This record gives sequence, C-alpha cells and structure tokens, in this order.
Amino acid sequence: MKTHLSVLPILACTCLLLASPNSLAQQISVEITIPKITTQPYHKPYVAVWIETQKRQGVHTLAFWHEQKDWFKDVRQWWRKIGRQQSPAYDQVTGATRKPGTYTLKISSKELATLKLNPGEYFLNVEAVREEGGREFIRQKITLGATEIKRYEKLGKHELGKVIISVMP
Amino acid sequence: MLSASTLIKKIATFTLALSLPLTAIAHERFILPSHTVLSGEEVQSVSFIASISNAIFHGDKPLGDNGKGIVAPKLAPLFKRLKPIVIGPDGVSREMSWQAFSRFSVADTQLEQSGTYRIALVQPDVPMTTFIKADGKKGRFFGNKGKVPSGATNIVKRTTASRVETYVSFNEPNNAALKATGEGLELGGETHPNDLFVDETIHFQLTFQGKPLQQSTKVKVVKGATRHRNQRDEKIIETDAQGNFSLTLSQAGFYLLSANIDVKGEAGSGIDIHHHSLYATLEVFVQ
Repeated sequence: MKTHLSVLPILACTCLLLASPNSLAQQISVEITIPKITTQPYHKPYVAVWIETQKRQGVHTLAFWHEQKDWFKDVRQWWRKIGRQQSPAYDQVTGATRKPGTYTLKISSKELATLKLNPGEYFLNVEAVREEGGREFIRQKITLGATEIKRYEKLGKHELGKVIISVMP
Repeated sequence: MLSASTLIKKIATFTLALSLPLTAIAHERFILPSHTVLSGEEVQSVSFIASISNAIFHGDKPLGDNGKGIVAPKLAPLFKRLKPIVIGPDGVSREMSWQAFSRFSVADTQLEQSGTYRIALVQPDVPMTTFIKADGKKGRFFGNKGKVPSGATNIVKRTTASRVETYVSFNEPNNAALKATGEGLELGGETHPNDLFVDETIHFQLTFQGKPLQQSTKVKVVKGATRHRNQRDEKIIETDAQGNFSLTLSQAGFYLLSANIDVKGEAGSGIDIHHHSLYATLEVFVQ
C-alpha cells in the first residue's frame, strides 16, 4: 500500500518536470567490486554501467572500461542497448579496464539533469565480460525522483562482486 | 636430442620462477569435424574447420592454408610452419590440404579405408622471446631476428609447439592412427576417442615425445558453444604422474580437451623454456 502511495508524489512531480525537466536534482553513486579471480591467463574484464528505461531503452552510460573495439560486442547487453548506436555519447565515460578492486562511480545532479529524465523507475545495469573468462549481467530497478535516499545492493556470482547503488536527492 | 629420462627429470625439476604467462599466444585452437563416426560401404568424406579462437568451435582466425586462401600477413609465418597431416587406419601419415578463409580454415578428407583417422595440425617449435619492458608492459617477438628493447627485464627465450587434432572413425574404429608419433604432447589411453558416451568413464593418457608424461599436469575440458553461455564451465582434471586421467561427461556434444607443459631448455641451448600444447576435439554422444 505504501509503495502505491509513494507513486503519487512522483506522478505529480512528473507533470512539473515536463515543464522544467532540469529540476530532477539527483545524484547516483555506484560502487562496483571486480573480484579477484585466480586463473591463467587472467584478463581484466570489460565493464559497462548504464541506465535504461523500464522498456529497456538505453539512456546513458555511466562507465565503460574496455581495451579493443573488436570486443565491444561481447559486452552484449550494453552493446545492444547503447554501444552500437551511441558511440559519441559514451566517449567521455570510457576508460581502460581495471584490475580487481572496488570502484565508485558518481553521476552528479548536474550531469543527470542534462539527460532530462522524468522521475520514475529505471534499470541500472552492470555488465562484466572477461576474455577467456565468463560474463555477468546485473540489473537493478531504481527509482529516480524520490525525496529520500534509495540504496540497492546486489551480489554478483562470477565476474562481479558486490554492487551498491545509491540514489540521493 | 634429450634422452627420455633426462627429459623427465627436466620437467619434474622445472620451476615456475622463469615462466611469464603465455597470455599473448594462449588463444585456443581447434579442428571441428563435420562427423566423427561414419558407416557404409562406399567411400565417405568428412569436412573440417580449424580456427584460432577463444570462442570454442566458433571461428575467429583461420588455422592452416595451402597457399590458395586468405591469409593475414601476421599469420603467414605460422601457416608456413604448420604440418597438416592425416594418419589413416593403416597408421600411415599423409599430407592434408587446408584452405584459409577470413575466420577459419577448411579441409576435406576422403575415408577410403575402414578404421580410425587422426586429423592434425602440428606446429613444430617456433622461437619466441618474451620480456617486460622498462615501462612494465609485456613485450614479445617471434623468431630470432627481433631485438629486446633496452631496459627490458625478465627476458625469456622460448619455443612454442602445438598439436591440434581430432579423430574420425569409419566403420569399426582401430588404434593404428592413435599410436603416439613421438612429437610433442599427444592423447592416448584406454578409451577410444570415437567411443565416448554420456555418463561413461573415459580413461585417457597424455604422452610427451612418445613416452607417458611423467608429470602431473592439468587437463582442461570445455564443451563447445562457450559463446552462448555466460560461464565457460571449464572442467580441470589433473593427471597422475604417468599422464593418466579419467573423466565423465554428463552432456553430449563436441568438447575441446587441452593441456600444455613447459619443459626447461638444455643448458647452453640458448632456450629457457620449451612450451608444448595439445588441443583435441572430442565428440560425446547420448546413451
């Protein structure tokens, strides 16, 4: 019941936002752990973090760590939803692959505002693929536009460790 | 030429201290046959593809060429060295003709006699030097003509050799083609490679230079179509000190079995490590 009620202010908010879309003042932080995998040879994984609409339309890439373009298509979900259409749009968030460890990505309210998103539910996706290794795809439904901090936690099994998503007003 | 016993000692005493992972050349290789079990009275033919690819049984780069195919300049020196052979049920080794296309090489074989055929692409020792550059990055070059950059460390002189093969039986299988040729790592043992069924224990043995491999070694078995699943589901089996190992597979399909060893070079030979690998494609049938 409570969840239903909480939708109401968001809907109201949506109307306001249509008039002034830049007012979705939210920050997102994503903490990703790349687990240590003992194998020979070990290649650092390609990792993509991105937002999709509820209808699975690609919205924005938060990070894309990669090496060679030939293998972009192996980051399969990201490639089909964003990669293959929007190369200029993710250029600024790309970087080299990273070694095992915990990394925090932040998307500022200013940056988020440029996406002109309506409040509501989205998917935040994390995909990791390792050459001669496995692939893992984690999806988390997130709510943008809530007045309180939302925190989501997922645990990968193979190529990803803990993924913690925080959405802050 | 090393005697078997010195060789065995060399393998056994070899430590990993020298070894830099061979990631740069560690891509998988395979031959995929159209059929592994055939019957009939008339001559049958089998077609094959061969590739260097990490996606098991999905081609990425060709492996082998007869001079008529499409060969990237990078692969031409390797293809010149490759020995494409088919050993027939009579135990006689004949040359085979492979043609390279962009993503894999293709070959055909006529099966005129009943029995087992062994189809192989054998790469004899290729010299290679690996090192760590002054900036910490890995470097390597093939052949003897390259130059190690100044400031490089961990310079290791190597050779790499590989054997990529598969087996096909026409009517009743026999063992003549399976007898070790004495060149590199080979697959032998009690179970015939064309008699593999789900849930039956398979007994194999690795040989090296024609003798049982006197060293516990890891054997990797991967089912094909890794491209269509998230986990490679590699099965790692350790051999005993005679190269023997057993496995049971619960699903039918094509599997790639691989193993590799590093053998320390003889003092004064100018080679630190001889690397040998084996890739064998096996077909497992349902009960």
